[in-house]
Amino acid sequence: MAKVRKSRPGPFDYARKRSLQIVFLLTTIFLYAPILVLIIFSFNNSRRGGNVIWRGFTTDYYVKAANNASLMEAFANSITIAVISTIFSVILGAITAVTLWRFRFPLKPGYEGLVALPIVVPEICLGVAIAIFFSYFNLYMPPGTPWPFNLTNIIVAHITFSFPFAAMVIRTRLTTFNREMEEAAKDLGATEFQVFRDILLPHMKPGLIAGGLLAFTLSLDDFVITFFTSGPDTVTFPVKVYSMVRFSVTPEINAASTVLILITLILTAVAMRFQTFGDERT
Amino acid sequence: MTDTPIISIRNVTKRFGSFVALEDISIDIRPGEIFALLGPSGCGKSTLLRIIAGFETPTEGDILIDGQDVTDVPPNKRPVNMVFQSYAVFPHMTVEQNVAYGLKMDRLPSSEIAPKVAEALAQVHLDKFATRMPDQLSGGQRQRVALARALVKRPRVLLLDEPLSALDAKLRDAMRLELVKLQETVGVSFVMVTHDQSEALAMADRVAVLSNGRLRQLADPMTLYQKPADAFVADFIGRVNLFDVTARNGAHVTAASIGQVPVDATALPAGEDLVVAVRPEFITLSPGAPADGSGKLKGALGDVAYQGDNSVVEVTLADGRSVQVLVTSGETAGLLGLGLGAPVSLAIDMGQVSVLRRSDL
Repeated sequence: MAKVRKSRPGPFDYARKRSLQIVFLLTTIFLYAPILVLIIFSFNNSRRGGNVIWRGFTTDYYVKAANNASLMEAFANSITIAVISTIFSVILGAITAVTLWRFRFPLKPGYEGLVALPIVVPEICLGVAIAIFFSYFNLYMPPGTPWPFNLTNIIVAHITFSFPFAAMVIRTRLTTFNREMEEAAKDLGATEFQVFRDILLPHMKPGLIAGGLLAFTLSLDDFVITFFTSGPDTVTFPVKVYSMVRFSVTPEINAASTVLILITLILTAVAMRFQTFGDERT
Repeated sequence: MTDTPIISIRNVTKRFGSFVALEDISIDIRPGEIFALLGPSGCGKSTLLRIIAGFETPTEGDILIDGQDVTDVPPNKRPVNMVFQSYAVFPHMTVEQNVAYGLKMDRLPSSEIAPKVAEALAQVHLDKFATRMPDQLSGGQRQRVALARALVKRPRVLLLDEPLSALDAKLRDAMRLELVKLQETVGVSFVMVTHDQSEALAMADRVAVLSNGRLRQLADPMTLYQKPADAFVADFIGRVNLFDVTARNGAHVTAASIGQVPVDATALPAGEDLVVAVRPEFITLSPGAPADGSGKLKGALGDVAYQGDNSVVEVTLADGRSVQVLVTSGETAGLLGLGLGAPVSLAIDMGQVSVLRRSDL
């Protein structure tokens, strides 16, 4: 009878090594424990903010947050800015990506670097630069501009830093495009525009969605650049939370943040679903 | 055949910068034939196909389709269709939508598109796969989609870029026959590009052999094999032993390693380097050293490459030159018993040798 040997983990069988399992567990805790605490304490029945002692379950602070007009306004501003800047970022990013992928032109490497610059320039510098630019050329929306046009400055600033991210993602997607596909479509009678609409655009779709999602989340939680371009009438959610926290952390902020996390999660799930659809067909 | 050509390639030259991809090529494609552009990679065959399709413009020369000059007509307005090497099946469309795409671009009403698509799919035996997505198909099936998609447009000529290179060996053999049958059914001319000489010989009615952008020979497969125009063609099509000609007299030439070869030397091109080409099947091998005066060549047995129905045997001649000989599988068994280096004698069938221009290989 052959002896039954207990199989030992192979060289790349990381998932079965006890030491690595512990590292994995600790990493996960470090990553998610703060968020979990935030969510749990949004239900804490504590009068004062900053109190980290559990005083019983309540959903009062969700109601309170919903009734906090200035918080809700900031929330609505953030969502509006994110949606509009995402649309523009994806369009600009797609145009940039296709241009860089498809054409050869003088100074192309220089242009490529220029597009990627907002990604590497420290956010604080970009924020100051945009603020100075707006005031030097007197480009700030005059006070009293009706909503949502009073958000224009923030939206422009957000497009500036998020469209290069979208362009990068879309361009990566384009490198997997088989150029024979384009020729095949032309061979079958398609014009340049029809090739773009029928062949290239469907191929780009997962990149457009991923790029859009990136732009959306970047815009939604941006604090630094927004801080420099927002005025008293144009407070976004992160800026509002910052000003509230300066006095005290109330469970109200926890509640609003939880809602924001939820929205981001749902959007990510939807986008990922779209993306797997796109990949299944490639 | 005196038919007017469907496609006329007239004095086409293509340069990429200082690189000459094609040099003064003139070829006529006849109606209803399978025409192969054959050559090693980089010989310009794919460029020529792309010029016919319209993806490249010749630097000089013209392309005529049905007598009409189409040199400046873009690919989407040419009455030819192409099956790409990667098949380029659109991944986000079903099989049906892929095949219908070209007809949609022609603005055909959908009532006309549906029956045509169904007919094309039946032709390539894909009728049961109409609603599948391309990623649910095998490589061979994807190729059929590409075929149907091109044929449904009823092109004057179907262009095929290395149609079988992406398939595995067994499927490749089956597809060879099927492509030939398909061509007989639909009746349109096929122009195929291939680097595989056996593919060209097996499928094509006529073959153009290209090398370094130049047309070496245009002939039917049998002529190519039996009467190659120069040493390059002889070497590229099948196996051949080449011996440099060292001297020529009126009735014979003298070649290195093998001595005198009876041939009318006066008919040979003057002032050019010549070679004697001997196919391995026209050399008879027998064990043992040759008797004096028998006229046979003495050699030492080398490696035997067993191929089932026959074997290719390497023999080293007295001067160190190695020669390939084709023997039947019956003879192979006896040779294997002799062992490496055993003395053998070779007899060349002098009636089957050809004396060719050396050409730059």
